[in-house]
Amino acid sequence: MAAEVQVFDAVLVVLLLWLGWRALASADLFKAVVQFIVFGLLLSLAWVRLGAPDVALAEAAIGAGLAGALLLDTLARLGRSGAADEARPLGLTPARTGIALAALGLAALLVASALALPERWPGLAEPALQQLRASGVSNPVTATLLNYRAWDTLLEVGVLMLAVLGVWILEAEPALPRPAPDPMLGLLLRVLLPLTVIVAGYLLWVGAHAPGGAFQGAALLAAGGVLWHLARPLSLGPSPVVRAVVVLGFAVFLAVGVATAVLGGGLLTFPPEHAGAIILVIEAAAMLSIALIMVALFVGRERAPSDAGIPDSAADASAVPGAPNPGAAP
Amino acid sequence: MPEWMTPALWIAAAAVLGTIALGLVRVERGPSNGDRMLAAQLLGTGAVAVLLLLARATDAPALLDVALVLALLACVAGAVFVRRIGVQPPERDEGRGPTRATEDGS
Repeated sequence: MAAEVQVFDAVLVVLLLWLGWRALASADLFKAVVQFIVFGLLLSLAWVRLGAPDVALAEAAIGAGLAGALLLDTLARLGRSGAADEARPLGLTPARTGIALAALGLAALLVASALALPERWPGLAEPALQQLRASGVSNPVTATLLNYRAWDTLLEVGVLMLAVLGVWILEAEPALPRPAPDPMLGLLLRVLLPLTVIVAGYLLWVGAHAPGGAFQGAALLAAGGVLWHLARPLSLGPSPVVRAVVVLGFAVFLAVGVATAVLGGGLLTFPPEHAGAIILVIEAAAMLSIALIMVALFVGRERAPSDAGIPDSAADASAVPGAPNPGAAP
Repeated sequence: MPEWMTPALWIAAAAVLGTIALGLVRVERGPSNGDRMLAAQLLGTGAVAVLLLLARATDAPALLDVALVLALLACVAGAVFVRRIGVQPPERDEGRGPTRATEDGS
């Protein structure tokens, strides 16, 4: 390998290790969140260097984009942005030493098992590529996720659905006041929302033969939704329409599974001649559901439905120190 | 593409990665939250640049899509920051977290 490539990789590894350490060790939570966002950016580059552009795309969309937005929002809800975290003193306590030793032991086991692997084990890549023609798509990653291991992906969509149900069940406390519409962000939204929708559709379609797919497309749609919510607050409580879209992806996936079990070769075993179309339908439904789930996770429960008719009071807005206070009473 | 092009692209990518490392100093030192957030936005632009260079150097057009997604999503964290946390003057922000809460409460 050329020297310049080795220099690039070495700098990347050093930066990742340093950022990972700082994001965990910073007493300032806001700094830790920003470092985690940058860590996601560099992790995406690391996946590129490891030859996994599919994972890099997912990391870019979810790790660097949405996770940062969710963490910043969480920080605002905690109401301690910029404040040093006094409840998190640094230093070794017996419990932390125990956890650190257990983690080191686990890491040692993982390294040992990685070293114990046969050096020339062929892996499953060869059989996966041989069956690619019958999978309905030409991207081996999509074939694995939506055909060979469709059962795993079905359960992943189910887990996301359960996550948003959990958020709806829990009362989000401390709740944020519902902010007033923001004209500046409205302008950004008008430019960016059509772009996110187009690129999401592109990623969904291109996933059949290149890196892309439902999760990445959903992350883009969700980013558009988050911007929408920030510019003109949405109410995404558990209304019947929202519930229907949230379960749509899982329901379509499950219906396909039942149909293939009853009519065809078995649960989620797609007939090769229709596999491409089936995968596209499942992914389109899953993309809509996952996108709405992500936006609903971000919105949370800003206000209980019972006080929906009460206008925002200035006292509410001042409950979050440091938060902008638009629309508050003079 | 001429032969010297690939090493040149790699060197350029390593140089941009070096500027990302420098930008991390601003994230680490602040002093205000706005400085940190803007540094992160700048580093996002740097990552896009690195991806574009690598896409050409390794002949992997899929990396252009990764760069596109990063570029589109980079502003979301900034928008959340402006709306939910906000920019405070550094002198109120620096190392005075606990006292600030009482100032606001009084």
